[in-house]
Amino acid sequence: MARVSNRFLFQLHGWFSLPVWVLFSFVCLTGTVAVMSHEFAWLTNENIRAVNPDNRQAQSVAESVATVKKTFPDADVTGVSVRESYMAHEVMFTATDKPFAIAYVNPYSGAIQEVNDGVTFIGFMRTLHGWLYFPWHGSYSLGYYLVSLMSVVMLGALITGLLVFKKFWQAYRNPKIRSHQGPRTLTADLHKLAGVWSIWFMVIMSATGLWYLIQSVMWHADIEVDPWPAQLDAQSLPVSSQNTPTMPVSLAQAITKAENTFDNFQTSYIMMPEHNRDTYKLYGGGNNPFYDGASFQLAVNPWNGEITQTITPQNMDALQTIMHIADPLHFGTIGGIWTKLLWFVFGLILSGMSVSGFIMWYLRLAKARTVSRKATAARLQEA
Amino acid sequence: MARLKNKKTASKRYWLNALLLILPVVFIYQSFNPEFPASLPETQAGDFTLTAMPYDEDKPYQHDGLYVKDFLVMFQDGGVDEIRQGFLNIGDKPLPIEEAQQHELGILHGTRHGQHVHGLAQERITAGQKIWVTLQTWDGEIHQGSWEIPAHLISDV
Repeated sequence: MARVSNRFLFQLHGWFSLPVWVLFSFVCLTGTVAVMSHEFAWLTNENIRAVNPDNRQAQSVAESVATVKKTFPDADVTGVSVRESYMAHEVMFTATDKPFAIAYVNPYSGAIQEVNDGVTFIGFMRTLHGWLYFPWHGSYSLGYYLVSLMSVVMLGALITGLLVFKKFWQAYRNPKIRSHQGPRTLTADLHKLAGVWSIWFMVIMSATGLWYLIQSVMWHADIEVDPWPAQLDAQSLPVSSQNTPTMPVSLAQAITKAENTFDNFQTSYIMMPEHNRDTYKLYGGGNNPFYDGASFQLAVNPWNGEITQTITPQNMDALQTIMHIADPLHFGTIGGIWTKLLWFVFGLILSGMSVSGFIMWYLRLAKARTVSRKATAARLQEA
Repeated sequence: MARLKNKKTASKRYWLNALLLILPVVFIYQSFNPEFPASLPETQAGDFTLTAMPYDEDKPYQHDGLYVKDFLVMFQDGGVDEIRQGFLNIGDKPLPIEEAQQHELGILHGTRHGQHVHGLAQERITAGQKIWVTLQTWDGEIHQGSWEIPAHLISDV
């Protein structure tokens, strides 16, 4: 078997990362902030906090929706987002003077603490990290491709890095940071040590990133992983010349359906029917933290309460399973705030590794220039 | 010397990717200051008065095997609540409701404050076609209206 030289592997390691090191570092850094974006938002905006000084029981999502409708009589609620227990319910709606708005409803006090126009720090960071704010053209965004392609860069840099750094496991037993042998040695030691301790993190980020790349290709090709609930038959709608029929099934009843259908259903997102042949769509998580907050899905006919579609981890195919376990691994939500903090720290390390890699290369270049200048001067002196 | 020059070029070359980060700045600005094409004039469909605004000036795009063009439809007179179902299509004539209601796309959806629609179209919009809206009220009556297509959307102009 042909032996690949260490020099070639080293060059390959550089080729994977150096041409895009700034972009890679930016994507890592925005992802790092996005992981903790709920908590940063919580820290900086008291209106989105779900504080409970009187130790009351949380009101239901349907009650939060009712609060918004009562406060804004012309509001049409389009959906609800339920995040961590320390975050207020986010009720999305339109009104005469609001093309899109989010009402933050404290589930313990029932108060609407803020109404904003939909631009949030959480949404901003997610968009910046996910597709760099590149526009979407139908079902694809070049930014989404660009960001998910960074997984190839990461995987390539990881594999070649491990091949170049022979016996890398010794860095676990005998970590060394030589701070007195010049900046080149110090940067190289930091880069290697950070890399070795981040192997598990880079494997997770590369694997989930590759999945996002595959997912973006599938979106582009109009291949659905989770089937979208079908519209109701037109014939099933009432016909009336007397009055305007209203949907008899309430949101509260639809939520009860979900809670009765799935054990320990924890609502994460609700979409209201967007037209008369549409369904309530309820998304939630269950007991398994490795599945995301949309791993249990229910579509409910708002005219008769019939369940028209269910998705659970038990009835998912392989692609659906991958899709629903990718986010908790990528976002670090599997263990709550503690794993998110761990992901945040390793995200910072990974962002820094791109910079340290460039510094290593730059210092190496600077040294080569110095050697070259000295050699030229020596030749001139000899002449 | 040539090698040294190459190295100097290389040090600059590896900064080039930073220029890509100008694009998010531009896109963030555009996102916070969106510009939309002009709204089409009011049209009548039965007792309903409607306006429609294309979301962009692009040609129809493919989605789920169909070509669609996105619009925001606003009800000026008459309410969304009075509609059993509504559709928008681009073509020589309005789609018969029996055909329109077979598709997952093309149906008006949203709230009383704005209806979105992925209007059914063909790959190319040609002269003579119109933007058709078909509304069915709760009593089963059909009401239709149309808009002339803006010249820049017509492929053979």
